[in-house]
Amino acid sequence: MSTQSPQKELAANSFAARLFADRQLNFLLLTNVAVLAAATLLAGADFIGLYNLQSMAAQVPELGLLALGVMLAMISGNGGIDLSGIALANLSGMVAGLLTALVVSPDEAPLAYTLMFLGIAIGVGLIGGMLNGVLIAWAGLTPILATLGTQLLFTGAAVVLTNGSALRLGYIEPLDDFGNATMLGVPLCFALFLAIAGLITVVLRFTPFGVHLYLLGTNAKAARYAGIASQRVIFLTYTVCGILASVAGAIIAARTSSVKWDYGSSYVMIAILIVVAAGVRPEGGYGRLICVVLSATALQLLSSMFNFLDVSNFFRDCAWGLMLLIFLAVSRFDARAWWQAQFPAKFPAK
Amino acid sequence: MSFTRKAVACAVSLGLVAGAGFALAQSGGKTISTVVKITGETWFNRMEEGVKAFGVETPGVTTTQYGPPKADAALQGKIIEDLIAKKVDAITVVPMDPSALEGVLKRAMDRGIKVVTHEADNAKNTQVDIEAFDNKEFGARFNERLAKCMGESGKWTSFVGSLGSLTHVQWADGGAENAKKYPGMTLVDAKNESFNDANKAYEKAKELLRKHPDIKGFQGGSAIDVLGIGRALEEAGLQGKICVIGLGLPRDSGKFLESGAIQGIGFWDPKDAGLVMNKVAKLLLDGKEITEGMDLGVPGYNKVSVKKGPGKGIIVVGQAWIDVDKNNYKDYPF
Repeated sequence: MSTQSPQKELAANSFAARLFADRQLNFLLLTNVAVLAAATLLAGADFIGLYNLQSMAAQVPELGLLALGVMLAMISGNGGIDLSGIALANLSGMVAGLLTALVVSPDEAPLAYTLMFLGIAIGVGLIGGMLNGVLIAWAGLTPILATLGTQLLFTGAAVVLTNGSALRLGYIEPLDDFGNATMLGVPLCFALFLAIAGLITVVLRFTPFGVHLYLLGTNAKAARYAGIASQRVIFLTYTVCGILASVAGAIIAARTSSVKWDYGSSYVMIAILIVVAAGVRPEGGYGRLICVVLSATALQLLSSMFNFLDVSNFFRDCAWGLMLLIFLAVSRFDARAWWQAQFPAKFPAK
Repeated sequence: MSFTRKAVACAVSLGLVAGAGFALAQSGGKTISTVVKITGETWFNRMEEGVKAFGVETPGVTTTQYGPPKADAALQGKIIEDLIAKKVDAITVVPMDPSALEGVLKRAMDRGIKVVTHEADNAKNTQVDIEAFDNKEFGARFNERLAKCMGESGKWTSFVGSLGSLTHVQWADGGAENAKKYPGMTLVDAKNESFNDANKAYEKAKELLRKHPDIKGFQGGSAIDVLGIGRALEEAGLQGKICVIGLGLPRDSGKFLESGAIQGIGFWDPKDAGLVMNKVAKLLLDGKEITEGMDLGVPGYNKVSVKKGPGKGIIVVGQAWIDVDKNNYKDYPF
């Protein structure tokens, strides 16, 4: 990628050094480990028991998928952001729930019901994402305004569909398994989340789309003169955001056996928090997916730890804020250079 | 690796800051966790008093109240997920939205955790749902007080938070049914929606006063309806001349009760609800059953009625309403 950190050349020879060249990644990894250690120490062995690890993992995807969407939007630059994620997630689940029940009976053909549910949900996400894409890429709306508008549109549509009440799906075994079952000890929805994250990593790294996205975010003007079809790239990006949101919506529906328009209304801000804490540059052009995944898990570990320790959830907000500030400080502050300046003797000139 | 060292120090200290100072010793007994809709609201702070009191007065039981910082069903579900993993013995919950918690409460029960809900008579995955009272009766009770105040005759109207708020509609309907006893009372423009906004209730009340200058009574639905109506009456100089009775909280309604713009309010005490939820959870943990007419030892729940819920559980209904007027609102500091 075009965004290597300055100290990379220092350590170009050693693989291990290169592995630890990204300060943000190191710090996120260490935070995960440290919170896990602290929680185990303070809350007891139950915290690292299989059940809790599974429970925490299964809680990550809802927010994690929305955060991946926000990350992609942010990388695209031009103030990119997606505020409509959770609204679209709820709408996808709602439409899928209503439409599927018309065609397939969940009691007679639960598997067909589940597959159709997932299909329709993703279809709605695709359409919603394309709408965002058209508004931002071709109508030229600022992403924050466009997605704020579609957020209200999606929420409003979901309210109208059921007059504001929740839509109960009932217990449908395959759908319930999709949200709650584990395979080889790993919750299915978490495995899906990792698979999607892996797929996006590959796309960002090895496809022209990925390269174009980063270049576009770094300098939109230069990208245009270089012949990058920026409108198409932006359109695709927001379409992917929509699909990610609808997968989150399907997971929410599976885990709660119901759909409601106002579920996860606090997720918009938390998803942005995860992304910014992961060092994704709000101006665009830089962001590592692995950091977003680690940032999401760190937040989950911290929040579960507080629940284990009976700490007020207000303090959790405060701790998240503190974590965000420390993350930002770490990514901006070059400790190696500072250390070198303090102890020049340890670093003989080349 | 100098940076790594610094980062380790940073991260570890963050972890310690986070964990420091919190009591972690859990005594050997049973743990009952109460999950409310939102932390830091007067209503649920009052509930926490009940939750804590039960823990103090019951040996061998640790009780704690949890709640999300924002009223969001998703955050509430996540707290319960963590409590299941923490292996608490019982979970009592006031759901934001019962349907959003069905999955997680089912998982809790599958793992042998006792589940008690409050204000969720449509919840399937619960063992016992506790209702402070029968909603129709509660509405009828408001109306009975209104009728007394109005001298059993004249025009009256009712308010609801929104037509989607099931309990509010039940109160309004219960009131209307009760008013049929009095031929002199005429219901006009029933079920005005205030959308849980005191300003909207105020506007609506002013509108109704213009439309029906001879109106004699208002029955409030949401807890802020009486505040809006009271303000409209005070501005029109009609306090004491028109009767206002409805759901309300003593602290908020106090000044209107004093001025005579509101004659009376009714509510149920969240402290007692907190107490009784934990009491029922303890009974379940002891393997006891809740039966018709049982005395749960909490005011208003001395002779509960029991009916079958929509799932496998039961619904326990008390008579835990509290009627408050100018003379006794100071006894309830919330």
